[in-house]
Amino acid sequence: GSMKAASICSSDQAGCHFLSLANLFDRVIQHSARMHGISNDLHSEFELYFLPSKNQIGRVNRNCHTSTILTPNGKEYAQRIAREELTEVILKLLVAWRDPLWHFHQNMAQQLTFSHFSSNKSLEMSDMVHELQKGVQKVAEKMQTLGIISNSLGNLGSPKALLASDGAEWRLMNDYDLLYCFRRDSNKIQNYLKILKCRTVPEHGC
Amino acid sequence: MMKKVGGVILFCLLLLCIQLAAGNGISRPGKPTLTRCRSPEKETFTCWWEPGPEFGLKTTYALYYRKENSEIVYECPDYKTAGVNSCFFSKNDTSIWVNYNITVVATNEYGKTSSDPVDIDVVYIVMPNPPENVTASVMADKDLPFLRVSWEPPKKADTRSGWITLIYEVRIKMENEDNWEEHLAGQQRIFNIFSLRSGGKYHIQVRCKPDHGFWSEWSPSVDVTVPEYLTREKSMWILFVVFLPFVIFIITWLMYLNIHSLKYCLLPPVPGPKIKGFDKHLLKNGKSGDIFSTLMVSDFPPTTSSYENFLEEYLEVYVPEERELIMEGGKDPQDDSLKSENSTCDNDSGRGSCDSHTLLIDKGGGDKEDELQSDQEGGQAETDAKTHEEDLEYENVHSPDISNEKVKSWPSLCSPLPQYSLCLVNQPNPPEMRKHCLSDSMSTPDSLPTYFIQPGSGAKNDFRSNYWESNFNHKPSHPLHTQTTAHEHLLAQSDISTACIDRTGAPSGVHAPSVRPNEYVEVQRVSDENMVLLHPVSSGQENSFTVRRQTEDYSRVRTLNNGNGLLLLQREAVEQETDMCPNEEEAEGRATSTGNTAPVTPASQKSMAGISNALPILDERAASGYVDTATMFGLSTY
Repeated sequence: GSMKAASICSSDQAGCHFLSLANLFDRVIQHSARMHGISNDLHSEFELYFLPSKNQIGRVNRNCHTSTILTPNGKEYAQRIAREELTEVILKLLVAWRDPLWHFHQNMAQQLTFSHFSSNKSLEMSDMVHELQKGVQKVAEKMQTLGIISNSLGNLGSPKALLASDGAEWRLMNDYDLLYCFRRDSNKIQNYLKILKCRTVPEHGC
Repeated sequence: MMKKVGGVILFCLLLLCIQLAAGNGISRPGKPTLTRCRSPEKETFTCWWEPGPEFGLKTTYALYYRKENSEIVYECPDYKTAGVNSCFFSKNDTSIWVNYNITVVATNEYGKTSSDPVDIDVVYIVMPNPPENVTASVMADKDLPFLRVSWEPPKKADTRSGWITLIYEVRIKMENEDNWEEHLAGQQRIFNIFSLRSGGKYHIQVRCKPDHGFWSEWSPSVDVTVPEYLTREKSMWILFVVFLPFVIFIITWLMYLNIHSLKYCLLPPVPGPKIKGFDKHLLKNGKSGDIFSTLMVSDFPPTTSSYENFLEEYLEVYVPEERELIMEGGKDPQDDSLKSENSTCDNDSGRGSCDSHTLLIDKGGGDKEDELQSDQEGGQAETDAKTHEEDLEYENVHSPDISNEKVKSWPSLCSPLPQYSLCLVNQPNPPEMRKHCLSDSMSTPDSLPTYFIQPGSGAKNDFRSNYWESNFNHKPSHPLHTQTTAHEHLLAQSDISTACIDRTGAPSGVHAPSVRPNEYVEVQRVSDENMVLLHPVSSGQENSFTVRRQTEDYSRVRTLNNGNGLLLLQREAVEQETDMCPNEEEAEGRATSTGNTAPVTPASQKSMAGISNALPILDERAASGYVDTATMFGLSTY
């Protein structure tokens, strides 16, 4: 479903705003959790049927197309960077995966080797990335409204600006690597959202 | 060939030497294996390995790792913290979402042996510590206690910042059991357990898991004892057991009180298939003559006394003829007059008829005869005995004592309502006759209500619906009047009674139709002069009468008051047999007499109103009764 920001309370109290923001965060986090779950399932399926040879040299040197995006890989780093930066990272990741997942789904649908179940999952995954990006944008807007973050995020409204830098690196990846990379990135997104929420509205379930 | 054999022997020796050398540690160490890597909080992690065979040589182990997309090889920073054969990666050395390629190398003086590499991502190897501060307390909830288990996340796991999300699981078992009962608690830190056994001792444990990782170890067991309590079920049982004897006693006592009626209801006596005097053995012997000779009983028809031994139920048979005969003989003058009055009332159930023997004779059998026949089929002797009995009873009814014998023609529980009919007024001795008749009704406290066409009886219409009053005797001197009041009292209790009305003979009025036996009269209209115009209803066949009787409102006028009262008895048309008590003779007799019959003409306007009130009620009650009024027009003549 769409991540519409439904305000819980009609009054304009400050506490009410924060409550609705916390609610928004919860929904977005739930969504990201589901997305990660699907990617995990698909990755396991792939490992089962298309186990890549262990002798693959390039395995360690797998290059996700999103590796260019600087992401914090520790708790301290994630807590240290500004909220705006964290939000930006999340949005960048989401935007970066929209096209690759869509094409991945197209490939899966055409290839008969995959079960219908997997094909459905890939479609769901592709849709979710889209929805989640919209949701996170809403959260960012809300935070900007509340003055939690500055308005330096304005340029994120245009995803095309982000995509242009990426090019078509993801097209070189095979399906298995794609799934592997997305599984990790979806986990990052989920984790970053949780940290962002507990940094922004800590009193609501952190 | 010799060379070959020599070669083989040499080769074998060489192998032996090598093996010996190996046993003494002359080779590289065996291959170690990485067993597992775990991170307790997603910030640090530890890897453990299993050393291979060392061959008795001093072997050192080193762990090397490479990070993703980097060729730089690092060595384990900390071999000590995590114990033997372990490598601990601190926060600085740990990167999340980065693929580590780890290898363990065993080295001895003869060489190195490297283990198989292992790829790990710290995110997927998180196994937290068990939850801490597990407490279980007994909470009371309306006499049903429950356990509240609470805990805290492990200290190292940072859930507050959202870095790790933990879900918990609680398990509980009783002290002596083997099976644990597990409950998933989600992200909450409190869990309630219900359905505890009173006085039971329980062990409780909790564990946790990150959303993508491994379950922690179970926390140390917490023991709790549930206090004794009385369950609702138990208290209910106790109450039940305490009151059950009382209930049983009461039921038994009630049954004992009603034992007889119960016996009749459940086990109605079945007439024994006895033919008095019939000997089965004779039949076997084949002497037909003897058999049937024994059937010739000398004392047939049997007297009442001989039948006292039988437990059969008496069948009710109306034998008015005989009764009439009996009544004719040996009765006091009242009975004689009665006879001339030829109104015999019996309180047979369901029949409540006032029949005159002359009427029966006129019928030529009619319904009564048929009934009599059918009854007689059931038990010839019994029938006669019954009639005898009735006659005897009837003789005793002069005093207005309440005699229940007549009422109890059937066992009380299973009998239909006995209906009573009042005798109709006798001309010559109206008081006595009425008294007689009325006493009959009085003798039965359950007698059916009598209908009184009463002037000014509007107020009394609020008695039972199936009863309406007609004006009765106003003269206090009239014995009937006093008895009327008694009747009124009786009315409150009784249900239905029938009244026979005397048929009058040819009325002297203009509208007098010719009245034939069993002819019914309908109220045609109520005239202005306080007259009720009646017209005879064509009798046709007996059957049609019965049919009509059931569909039209009829009530029998039982007595005709001296003044302007008409005593009517209502009876259920459905229950009625074809008994009617129009008394032809009576009617004629009355016609000749003056002032005694059919005082339907009320003396006042009020009575008119009373009748007018009464008649609609009559109409409303379809099939509830019938008015079998004699022609009452020209009432003034009566």
